[in-house]
Amino acid sequence: MHIIVENLAKAYRLLWALKDLNFALKPGEFVAILGPNGAGKTTLLRILAGLVSPTAGSVKLDGATAQRTKIGFLTPADHLYDNLTVRENLYFFTSLYHQQKNSHAIDQALQQVSLADRADEYAANLSSGMKCRLSIAKWQLLEPELLLLDEPYGVLDGSGVDVLEKFLQGQCATGRIVVVASHHVSRVLKLSSRALILNRGRLTFDEIKQQPWPSFDKAYGEFLPHGDSWRS
Amino acid sequence: MALLRQAYLLLWKDSLLELRRRDSLLTMFFFGTLLLFVFHFSFDPAPDKVAEIAPALLWLAFLFTGTLGLAQLFQPERENHCLDALLLSPLDRGALFLAKSCFNLVLMIVVEIVVIPLFWILFNLRSWNLLPQLFLVTLLGTIGFCVLGTITSAITLRARARELLLPLVLFPLMIPVILATIRCMENVLRTGEFGDAIPWLRLLLSFDVIFLTVGILIFDRVIEN
Repeated sequence: MHIIVENLAKAYRLLWALKDLNFALKPGEFVAILGPNGAGKTTLLRILAGLVSPTAGSVKLDGATAQRTKIGFLTPADHLYDNLTVRENLYFFTSLYHQQKNSHAIDQALQQVSLADRADEYAANLSSGMKCRLSIAKWQLLEPELLLLDEPYGVLDGSGVDVLEKFLQGQCATGRIVVVASHHVSRVLKLSSRALILNRGRLTFDEIKQQPWPSFDKAYGEFLPHGDSWRS
Repeated sequence: MALLRQAYLLLWKDSLLELRRRDSLLTMFFFGTLLLFVFHFSFDPAPDKVAEIAPALLWLAFLFTGTLGLAQLFQPERENHCLDALLLSPLDRGALFLAKSCFNLVLMIVVEIVVIPLFWILFNLRSWNLLPQLFLVTLLGTIGFCVLGTITSAITLRARARELLLPLVLFPLMIPVILATIRCMENVLRTGEFGDAIPWLRLLLSFDVIFLTVGILIFDRVIEN
C-alpha cells in the first residue's frame, strides 16, 4: 500500500490545525510523528484514519481515497467496550471486519500480549496498560495495511513495550506501514525508519533516519526541556 | 445479506451490554409506570370519555419514556470513543442504523407489554378484547418512533446539550406518527374494529416505510458529520 498526502490542511473554525502537508508513505515504512503539544499530530492521525475530513487537500491510499478495511488506529485504552469481556471485544471487532477468527486464534493473540488469563474479564476491569495490550491483540488479529498509533508508550510497562515493539516490527517486516505519534522520542526513534516533525500544523522536518543525525538533533532540540537531549 | 449480518452483530452487542448494565430498560420501565400513576391521580375521566383520552395519555407516556431510551441509545459508543472504532471499520452505516432502531424497538416493546395492561387496569377500561388490535397499532407507531428517534439521536450525538436538544428535534418530526397512531387507536377503541382506522393505519405504515428507507440511505452522512 502507498499513501500520498497532498496539500493537506485542517481548520477548526479560525485555527489551522494542519496546513500544506505533503508527503508519501511506502510499504514497510515505520514513521515517527513528533512535535510539541498542539502541533497537529493527533489531527493528522485522525485524518489518515478517515475519522476527520480535511478542510483542503487529500489522502490517497494506493491512488484511491481511504479504504476502511485497511486502516488500523491504536489509541491506548480506547476503542473497547467496557462491558464486554476481553474475548467478546476481540470476537466483536474481528466479526465487524469480516475476519471472524476462531477461539484458538483469539486465545493465541491473547497469549502473545499476556492477557490469556484475563480473557473472560470485562474490559472495564483492566488497567490502561492492559487495555493497550488488548488493543495490540485486536490489531494483531485484524492485520491492517496501515497502522496508526497515538501515544502508545505512555501506559505500557516494560514487558508491554516489548510486546508492542515486537508487534510493530512484525508489521513492518510484512510490508505494512506503521505511523506512531509520540513524545517518547528515543523509544519511537529506535524502531522508526523516518521522522516527521510537526510544529503549529506545519511539517518542519521530514527525513530518513541516519546515524548520527545532526539535522534531527537541531530540529527537535527546541522542543526538549532546557539542557536535555532526546537520547536521554 | 452483509447489512443484516452486521446489524445482527451490533444488536447482539447492544443486547449483551443492556443485559449487563440494565440502564435503559429499568429507567424506561420505572418512568413509564410512574407516569401512568401520575395520570391516574391527575385525571378522573367519565367512563364514556376514557376511550377518547386513553390513546393520547398512553402515547404521552411512551413519548417521554422512549425519549429517555433514545438519550441512552449511543451511550456505549460515547464511552472510550467506541463510535470512532465503529466508523473506522468497514461497517455499513445502514446496519448501525438498523441495529440501533431494532434495539430501541425491543426496549420499547418490553416497556409497552407492561404499561398497556397496567393502563387498562388503572383507568378501568373494559375493552380487554381489543388489546391485540391496539398492540398492532402501537407496534406500528413504535416502529416510527424508534426509526425517527434513532436518526435524531445520531444527529444530536455530538451536541453539547444533547439531552435537551433531542426532544426539541424529535417531537415536531414525530407529529405525523403520533397523530396517526392516536387517531387509529381512538377509532379501534370507539368502534371495536379497524374499519374507520384503516386510512390512519395506511398512513402509519407509509411513514414507517419512508423513515426506515430514508434512515438506511442517509445514516452514513448523519453519523459521520
